[in-house]
Parts: sequence; structure tokens; C-alpha cells
Amino acid sequence: MALLEVNDLHVEFTTYGGIVHAVRGVDFAVDEGETLAIVGESGCGKSVTMQSIMGLIPMPPGRITKGTALLQGHDIIQNKIIDGRDIRGNFVGMIFQDPMSSLNPTMTIGAQIAEPLEVHRGYSHRDAMKRAVELLDLVQIPEAAKRSRQYPFEFSGGMLQRSMIAMAIACEPLVLIADEPSTALDVTIQAQILDLVESIQRETGMAIVLITHDLGVVARLADTVTVMYAGEVMEAGSVDDVFYRSAHPYTLGLKEAMPTNQTGRTRQLKPIDGTPPDLFAPPEGCAYAARCPHAMEVCLDHNPDPFAIHDEHRTKCWLHHEDCDVEAEGLFQAA
Amino acid sequence: MVWYTVKRLIQGIITVWFIATATFWAMHQVPGDPFIGEKAVSPEVEANLKARWGLDKPAYEQYAIFLVNMARGDFGISFTQESRSVNEIIQERFPVSAILGILAIVFAGLGGVLYGALTALYRNQWPDVIIILLVIIGISVPSFVFASVGQLVLVTINQILGFTLLPVAGWGDVAHMLVPALVLGLGTMAFLTRLMRSSMLEIVSADFIRTARSKGVPAAQVFSRHQLRNAVLPVITVLGPSVASITTGGFVVENIFGIPGLGQSFVLAVQQSDYGVIMGTTVFYGAFLVLMVIIVDLLYAWIDPRVRLE
Repeated sequence: MALLEVNDLHVEFTTYGGIVHAVRGVDFAVDEGETLAIVGESGCGKSVTMQSIMGLIPMPPGRITKGTALLQGHDIIQNKIIDGRDIRGNFVGMIFQDPMSSLNPTMTIGAQIAEPLEVHRGYSHRDAMKRAVELLDLVQIPEAAKRSRQYPFEFSGGMLQRSMIAMAIACEPLVLIADEPSTALDVTIQAQILDLVESIQRETGMAIVLITHDLGVVARLADTVTVMYAGEVMEAGSVDDVFYRSAHPYTLGLKEAMPTNQTGRTRQLKPIDGTPPDLFAPPEGCAYAARCPHAMEVCLDHNPDPFAIHDEHRTKCWLHHEDCDVEAEGLFQAA
Repeated sequence: MVWYTVKRLIQGIITVWFIATATFWAMHQVPGDPFIGEKAVSPEVEANLKARWGLDKPAYEQYAIFLVNMARGDFGISFTQESRSVNEIIQERFPVSAILGILAIVFAGLGGVLYGALTALYRNQWPDVIIILLVIIGISVPSFVFASVGQLVLVTINQILGFTLLPVAGWGDVAHMLVPALVLGLGTMAFLTRLMRSSMLEIVSADFIRTARSKGVPAAQVFSRHQLRNAVLPVITVLGPSVASITTGGFVVENIFGIPGLGQSFVLAVQQSDYGVIMGTTVFYGAFLVLMVIIVDLLYAWIDPRVRLE
């Protein structure tokens, strides 16, 4: 049994325009000390998946219509309490994309880091503040004691994200969910933040679920990768399998659209033509078929079940069906 | 912070001087003087009185005398109330207005924040619709209408009950204060409700609320610690001007309810061209408002650390 295991998760939003089927059957699992990256373009349901598990999407309009999420075997979709304690901030920590707006502007940094300790661990305010200073020190904020008494507007973006990390790991969670933790930061700070997360993971052995659309980040940090598109998992496997033995045309497309800095290589970035499907009325067949250069007739009408390339590597693409006459191996090797 | 306060106080003094000067000249442009009234006095007596109060001197000279006296905190005596200094009148009457005003502000502030939060919680449901409808009425109907309607309602209630539940007019104990204070605060309450509602709705979907919930902070604590404090900021911003509108509204409400407050004596003084009282109350009100605005600004900096006063 994995530490965090999500099965067949479906999330919908009721809007004036109709029902948006934002997440349509997502599975993944992550184990202690492991990093799972969820990648995909904007609007593919990455964040909604994690936020719905954490109970952070507004309900209504949102609702989870199907699926389970098991943390150490406890279902956390219905019940956010395990052994009388809220899992959020306690067993699962979370950091967000925009640190500037993710911290309360009228509370000191120290008080915000201290808050989960007071809520979950029963620390007195004084002790929690002391621990907050230690945590700020841990995330390498200089003059931590002084800084803990300052407000978010007195911090830089990178320092705010460090503070967010300190807040998320205050109760030594089993899982850290990082929702695009470095997207809003400039490149040098990005690297520092990712290094910090990695080093904390080495020390504490927590699992990380990293939501990103930066494949470079994935290659650096992740052990396993889940590629999402239109609310579904297109491909999942180890980072090597997904990157070097990609088994889905969408993964190939993402890789082609990624810039490289290899010298002597001059090629134009190849965007994926078209736009993601309308999730008010998701297509009958494969969601990617309309944009897929290898789409076949069957793709338009029938949504494939995941094919297992091997135990740990799954893909949702008809090209891997045994009756498929396209030489899938060659296609995927060539890219 | 200290320097800012000093600077604001100096600016305030200049503002009060402007108010005093404008009022002084406007007052002297109004036809008539304290001696034109129902009680006719003989020309000799009038000339004597004018000489006594310095009203026979040219206006600019009177103005200079007034400024010097004002700087010493002396507004002279009332022309219509025998042997009473303006300062005495203010001392006697201001506490009445202040209690009424404070009560009105408390009503308005508490009501505004409470109803605003309520409408935001029940957005687009019937409590929201009803309160917003009342808010529109509260904003558009002037306080003297509410005052009259309030009295009418009180009379009817007292008649039906057969005894006096709440007195219709006059001044004395808490029972006299409740309805006038409510009437006085109603407009501001409506305004604050609307402000609080939009501010709450904006904060509900703020990223830092999501962060607080991701930390497992209980809902009540998210509301009180994270949401309310941030949502109340715009409300505090308008509290300064609200004090102004409540005090000026006080003139009318005090008159209708027969409350012996400063507003009532101010209105009376204008009707009687009682120069000393007009100047005294105007300058006093002006200084009071300026002070209130400064206090609200300081309060704002205390609640929102991002506001740096310099």
C-alpha cells in the first residue's frame, strides 16, 4: 500500500454555462521519500486534483463525484480527520504557486508559521513562535528571529516561498504537495527553492507531489511522472520511462515544445497545434485525438483504457493496442 | 509615526483656521445681526450693545480680535443666552451629542460588519437579498425621514402597549438614546454593510484564505483571524468620513427628537445669528472632525502593517 493513493478521481464544477468535467478519472500513488511530478498544460486539472483531495475547492460549485484518496489507507475524501486530527497542515503540507498572495498580509510571518503548530500540536503561542524561528532558520532565511516578526510585504518573493515551505513542513508532514512552487519566481530563485525542497525531503523522508509544467524541473526532482491532459492521465511511469521511452503522443508533443540550450542544435520550437477540448462536453473518444498527429479512426469514438507497457509504465493510447498496425515502437523511439 | 502625527496635527490646525475664516466671513455676509428679532430694542440700547461687543468695529478688526481669542481658546459669550460663555455651552451640550454620536457609530459599525459578513456568507440567498434591499433604502432615505418615521412607530407602539416602552423624544437615560442613535447611524450602517459585503466576497476567494485552510486551521479561526481582519480594512477607511456624516446628521436628528445636544444649539444659533455660538460650535466641530480623521488614519496603520505613515 502506497503512502498516498488516489483512484479514479472525478471532479466537476457546476457553472452558469453547464457542468465542467475538470477531473475525469485520475489515479496516482506516491510512497515515502518519493517525488511524483504531475505535468500537463494549463487547465488540464493538475491543481484541481490536488486541491479537491485537500478539500480546498469551493463546494459548491465544485464536487467530487467519484473516486478515493487513501492516506496510509484512510479515505481522506469524505473525512479530513485521522485519529481526531485534521490531515491538512498536519500529515499533508501544501505550498502554492504565488507566494506573494498566498500569505496573510496582516499577520507576521512568524505567526503564520506558528499557526499549524498551535492548531495541530497544541503548542503555546510562545513556543510555536520559537519553533517558527527555527523553521525559518532551516529554510535559510537570514536573521530568522528578526524576520519572524516582519510582515509578508517586507519579504522578497523567494523568501516568501521559503516561508511557505517552513509553514508547510512545520508539523513534519508525510506528504508535501507543491503546486507549481517555482513558477512565479525568477530562474535563479527557482533553483534555490527546488534545492531546498529536495534537501528537506532527504532529511525528513517525506513524499512530494510536485505539480508543474516545467519539464526541466521534473527531470531534476521527480522519481515518477504522471502526464495529465483534459482531466485524464495520459501516461504515467518512472521519470526515465516517461522521458526517454515516452509512450504517448502528447508526452512527445510536450517534449518537442520544450526549449533546449544544447549548442549547435538549431531547431524551432514545435508547438502542439490546436487547443485542449471543451470540458463542458468532453469528447467521446481520446481527449487528445483532435490534436494528435497519429490519430486513428478508433481514437475519435472510443476512449482507450490504459495499456501497461510494463508494470510501472502505463499509457492511454490506442497505438499500443496489439491490433494496431502502426509501428508504435518505431514512432516513439524516433522522437 | 510621531513625526507623522505632528505633521497631521499641524495640517489639521490649518484646516480648522480655514473653516473658521470661511465661516466668519460667510456669517457676516448674512443679512441681520443678533439684535434683529422679535424683541425689538431701541436704537440707543442697540448702539450700546454693539459698542459693548465690538460689533461697531469694521469686520476685519472683529476678525483679528476673533482670531486672537480663538488662539487662546476663548469664543466669547452667547448673545442670546444671558451671561453664558460659548465654552460653557459647548461643555454642557457636547457630551450629549458625543454619547449619541458614539452610540450611532457603534450601531453603524457593528451592524455594518455583521450584516455585511452575513450577506457575504448567504450570497444570493434570501438573507442577502433582503438585507441588500434594506441597504438601498438605508442609503437613499435621509435621516430626518427615518427620524419622523421612527417617532411615528414609537408613538404607535406605545399606544398599543398602553405604556411608554421607549420615550418618543427628550433626553435622560439610555431609553432616550436608543432610537435617535439608531436613526442617526442607519445611513452609515447601510453604507458599511455594502462595503463589508463586497470586501468579504473578495477576501473569501483570496489565496491566503486557501493557504490557511490548507494548514488545517478550523473554519471559525479562518474567519476571525484571516478573513475578518482583512475584510474590515476598507470599512475602517471610511469610518473617518462616517464620523463626519453622523455628526452633521446629528443636527437634524437632535432637533427632531428634542435632544439638548450641540447640534440643536448650533441650529438655534444660526437662526438667531448668535455670532459667538456659531463660531464656537463650528470651530469645535471642525476640529473634532479633523481629529477623528487623523485617529482613523493612525488606527488603519495599526491594523494594516503595510500602511507606513511618513
